[in-house]
Amino acid sequence: MSARPLVTVFGLSGEKVGETTLPAVMTAPLRPDIVQFVHTNMNKNHRQAYAVNIRAGKQVVAESWGTGRAVARIPRVGGGGTSRSGQGAYGNMCRGGRMFAPTKTWRKWNKKINISQKRYAVASALAASAVPALVMARGHVIDEVPEIPLVMESSIEASKKTSVAKDILNAVGALADMEKAADSKQVRAGKGKMRNRRYVLRRGPLVIYKANDGVEQAFRNLPGVELCCVDRLNLLQLAPGGHMGRFCIWSQAAFDALETIYGEGGKRIPTAAMTNADIARIINSDEIQSILKAPKAGQKQHAPKRNPLRSLEALEALDPYAAAKRRAQASAEATRASKKAEILAAKRQQAKDKKQYKAAGKAFYEKVSKQGDICANGFTLE
Amino acid sequence: MQHDEMIWSVISQNFCSFKTTIGKAKSDKTYFCRNPYSVTGLCNRTSCPLANSKYATIREQNGRIHLFVKTVERAHSPKNVWEKILLSRNYGKALAQLDEHLEFFPKVLMHRNKQRLTKIHQYLIRMRKIELKVRSGRKAKLVGVHRKIDQREERRERKALVAAKLEQTIEKELVERLAKGTYGDIYNFPETPYRKALEQAEETEQESETEMEEEDESDDGMVEYVEDLDSEEEDELEDEEEDVENMEYLGNGNWGENESGESDSDNEESPSSGKTDKKPSASKTKKPAAKRRGPRVEIEYEEEREDHVEPVAAEASW
Repeated sequence: MSARPLVTVFGLSGEKVGETTLPAVMTAPLRPDIVQFVHTNMNKNHRQAYAVNIRAGKQVVAESWGTGRAVARIPRVGGGGTSRSGQGAYGNMCRGGRMFAPTKTWRKWNKKINISQKRYAVASALAASAVPALVMARGHVIDEVPEIPLVMESSIEASKKTSVAKDILNAVGALADMEKAADSKQVRAGKGKMRNRRYVLRRGPLVIYKANDGVEQAFRNLPGVELCCVDRLNLLQLAPGGHMGRFCIWSQAAFDALETIYGEGGKRIPTAAMTNADIARIINSDEIQSILKAPKAGQKQHAPKRNPLRSLEALEALDPYAAAKRRAQASAEATRASKKAEILAAKRQQAKDKKQYKAAGKAFYEKVSKQGDICANGFTLE
Repeated sequence: MQHDEMIWSVISQNFCSFKTTIGKAKSDKTYFCRNPYSVTGLCNRTSCPLANSKYATIREQNGRIHLFVKTVERAHSPKNVWEKILLSRNYGKALAQLDEHLEFFPKVLMHRNKQRLTKIHQYLIRMRKIELKVRSGRKAKLVGVHRKIDQREERRERKALVAAKLEQTIEKELVERLAKGTYGDIYNFPETPYRKALEQAEETEQESETEMEEEDESDDGMVEYVEDLDSEEEDELEDEEEDVENMEYLGNGNWGENESGESDSDNEESPSSGKTDKKPSASKTKKPAAKRRGPRVEIEYEEEREDHVEPVAAEASW
């Protein structure tokens, strides 16, 4: 990795204007675990303290009534004349009582992280921002971007107008990502919406400059676009959510400054534990394969186990009657299905006959139980 | 290669925005890849378009099938990564083209691409068949149902129906027309609405009456001398029995008050006689501009007694 690749520098209208070499930081090892750890802790550093009122629940004078009064022994408010008297106080289970373990302001809100860990994380995040696959995986829309890492000529730092900034992004294929952020603006789900955090939107490109000659003002109003100076790279911006691979737009001055910031005279670039981490390739390489022992001869090859519940052949091996049984079941079902109509018809006919029979019996009974001259018409029944 | 492994370890173990499952159950172990350039739709080491620098896919657009090829040399430039090769419409020729372009690609990839090509051809044929059948009329065109949209529209229709207040507007319109006289003279009215309308008309008249009364009484500071005002009021408070003498037979067994001037003169006389009057007559104070007749009363005839002390005494004794 000594001959580092060249990176094109793009002009403000998207055409190739020059070249630089890739800084050494961009080859730092990709360590998502370190980035995640540092990010979660760094995220806690801008918290504001919250706590319950220190006197909450304790501003009563209450004493327990003790035993013998057929009430629970919790301290109760004394006095009388108000519904509050006799009510339980002080406990976390009481209404109007102090909570269990009242939250205190002197909780440790900020987290200390080792400097070298922080630097490692930033270096890793920078390296990830140079891998197009990771930037895409993070969710940025970079299908029209001509090159990653995207370096623009230093005159971008002097842009003053937001309309100009938008045109620059458009020329370089970064507008799609910004528009994705703009479209994603939504009211936040949850109570945050009434706590001055009403809207959420996706993160767009991060513009990194060396000296602010107007870039901040030009780009800051574009939705999703964030700005950063090279000297103060922020992990919370380089790896939002703890995920590496933010889409970064560099000015050439900033990009070249990385060489001096990270290197011999500056911050240490972390080295990987393994220079070649492709284990599969190593194992299959000639150097390793040539000194391996030959595979043992005469080893029994076991076929993969087949689940009898899934494959009929495996079931046959265990239960020879299985296939026949299945066939019998299937044919029985088929005959049942075909006979269904007949059976139904027979049953219906049966029910109908029964009804008629019953009706006839009833009619006979009615006729017979009529009052009148029994022998009016002789002993016959009509 | 080194890079690919790194990328895959990051993507598979951490976060990839294209990785999804279908169900929400934790037991759903198959992950799918929503990347449009994925050959299979599954999230695998071999079928991830991001984690393989040498990759090929087949995509279909408007019936035209293209082969998209990706190589390491262009991996740094997302805009130019995919080389787009148009495939022949003939299935056999397309397969030959695949063989030619993917000769030096992993066999697995070539196989997957051929499978995908076959699938695409099959569904295109099916689409054409369905379209022909739809056009000839032998099959209905199947349109998808959008539950969310349909329910939303239904909900809005219901609300609009309620908001339109159709019955009220229709009623108003019909009453207007009736008032205008477009229906001529119709004598069959349903009872309740007719009565309701009449009451409304009565109310409006009474309102105007009370307004007129108020106007009369609003003369503040004007001293009015009225004869025996108190006795009049007392008589009002008693049970209002109508002056029998004022009764007139109005026909059909109905008795009503005489609205002519005679009753007025009677009214003026009775307050002067006061309570000593033997007849328990209540001076009927009429409202100044009453157009309405008094309630029609059916009276039972009773014998008039000269001695009225008893009932009075009876009343007083409680």
